[in-house]
Amino acid sequence: MIIAERKPLDEIKTLVDDAQKVLVVGCGTCVTVCFAGGSREAQITAASLRMSTKLDGNGKNVGDVTVQRQCEWEYLDEIKDQVEDADMVLSLGCGIGVQAIAEHFPESWVVPGLNTTFLGIPSEQGVWEERCAACGDCILGLTGGICPIARCSKSLLNGPCGGSEAGHCEIDPDVPCAWQLIYDRLSSKDKLHVILDLQPPKNWSTSRDGGPRKIVREDLRLKAEEA
Amino acid sequence: METNQFVPDIIAFCCHYCAYAAADLAGSMRLAYPAAVKVVEIPCSGKLDPLYVLRAFEDGADGVMVAG
Amino acid sequence: MTTIETNTNGYVVGSTLERVLKAGHFAVTGELGPPQSADGDEIREKAALLKGLVDGVNITDNQTAIVRMSSIGAGTIVVQEGLEPIIQMTCRDRNRLAIQSDLLGAYALGMRNLLCLSGDHQKFGNHPTAKNVFDMDSVQLVKMVTDMRDECIFQCGDALKGQEPRFFIGAASAPFADPIDFRPYRLAKKINAGADFIQTQLVYDVEAFDRFMEKVRELGLHEKTYILAGVGPLKSPGMARYMKNNVPGILVPDEIIERMTAAGKPWADIKKDELTREDKRARSKVWRDEGIQVCIDLIQQLREIKGVAGVHIMAIEWEKAVKPIVEGAGLYPRPTVKEPVTQ
Repeated sequence: MIIAERKPLDEIKTLVDDAQKVLVVGCGTCVTVCFAGGSREAQITAASLRMSTKLDGNGKNVGDVTVQRQCEWEYLDEIKDQVEDADMVLSLGCGIGVQAIAEHFPESWVVPGLNTTFLGIPSEQGVWEERCAACGDCILGLTGGICPIARCSKSLLNGPCGGSEAGHCEIDPDVPCAWQLIYDRLSSKDKLHVILDLQPPKNWSTSRDGGPRKIVREDLRLKAEEA
Repeated sequence: METNQFVPDIIAFCCHYCAYAAADLAGSMRLAYPAAVKVVEIPCSGKLDPLYVLRAFEDGADGVMVAG
Repeated sequence: MTTIETNTNGYVVGSTLERVLKAGHFAVTGELGPPQSADGDEIREKAALLKGLVDGVNITDNQTAIVRMSSIGAGTIVVQEGLEPIIQMTCRDRNRLAIQSDLLGAYALGMRNLLCLSGDHQKFGNHPTAKNVFDMDSVQLVKMVTDMRDECIFQCGDALKGQEPRFFIGAASAPFADPIDFRPYRLAKKINAGADFIQTQLVYDVEAFDRFMEKVRELGLHEKTYILAGVGPLKSPGMARYMKNNVPGILVPDEIIERMTAAGKPWADIKKDELTREDKRARSKVWRDEGIQVCIDLIQQLREIKGVAGVHIMAIEWEKAVKPIVEGAGLYPRPTVKEPVTQ
């Protein structure tokens, strides 16, 4: 899922400085699960903004609402009136949610309350780790289900480099060396031969390097008369 | 004694099983506590949500006490 | 200005390093770190300290991710000074377009040796907020430049339109980095990709290196490439301990730390704040002399290991040490190989 972190309150205050009436919009999907932008965080952020601006002597009118998913038009339709009534929307969705609100409500002004950080998993309670770089050409079948693009600091396809020590990456003792993990997993499955062959340079055109990406599924599209 | 002395408004979130029961017992024993302390019964102190605390302060409380 | 022969007489490239190695001599390479400035004289001064002592000199490419004069820029000066540079090229700062175009330029400027590296992560350098590239890795880089030389094609498969860049291609090996059992196999990948020579990370633990080489020989890798063992003079026991404890992939045996410590024994009983400047200077001199001697001893031991074709002396910011090391190890003067390939 998408992992995000809330921006510091001071930064949020700067972002909403121009507005008197602010609507904090939470999102009920990924950012709820990672405790960054769900209903609870939206309420806490709204209350914090109300109190903090009041203490500053310019108390703002800050409300909150949470939709199931900010990245789908149908859910955004539900909050149309509240959005239009506010001077500004503070989205606690991921970067997709912020842009969806901007696109869906072109007359409104939206600012981000989160920093969208990565695609990953809650590896344990309170800990989230990156797992996927959305490169558009999955090679996990070659690497024992461990992604070197997302998890090796240098995205090496023929790793590990000389900076692998005692299982961790030289950039940080808390970062596991992806290639050590790949090596361990392949050895335990007797499949080391898979990484003995040279992996050619990656085709990055399926990644962001090829420009913004888009998928069109004609089989799923509605015909003009259905739309 | 000064008459305009500051008396803080305190919201006391009390666990149903201990602190609230104790406050109840104190009442039965005719023990007094300041009127500025408002007791809010919660099922367990683990039920306390940061939102309750924020709400208390937003609504004018000077302090919050959690007893459980 | 020296002109490097282009008549290859059966050599892949005909660089001095290739000639020396193919003639069966024990090769010596050195290292020159370009300055954090545009001062060409600093390169000339360092080049003068290495001239005649090494068969090729590595010119580092923004080593430890700190911005320095470019490897090819500094290498051009080194060529003018009559030394043969070994251009280091990392994958951190350039994508495949930039790497290929820079290497075309490097060849045109007279450079004939290349070392392909992944590159230190920018986190360690002076621009930690930079975006890294890593379009390719070091193994893919070796293959790309081998194909440019031998197949006359760019990475995309298009043919070069004219002179191909002919480099004697090197790669690095970290014999003691983890997972240690995989290291000989990763070396094999680099050799299969086309590496003509290999320079290793610093070796202080000869026994551990011998075990690595045993596996290398078992895989027959020493017959497919030339392996130059990395060595470097220690400046103090503190430096030895730092490398042992903080640098991944470097093993420093206690005996070497003890040897360095023992050299400073005359000052061992003086309290730190009572050491005069003269004491410190004298102690430093003794430590450095011992560091050079340790390095010479390591070279002698490494020479005895089958499959070691030479040494790569890393004396960054201490280029003066190279002369006593090369002389002390009996590797001076350097041979001149004019004959065609004999093998």
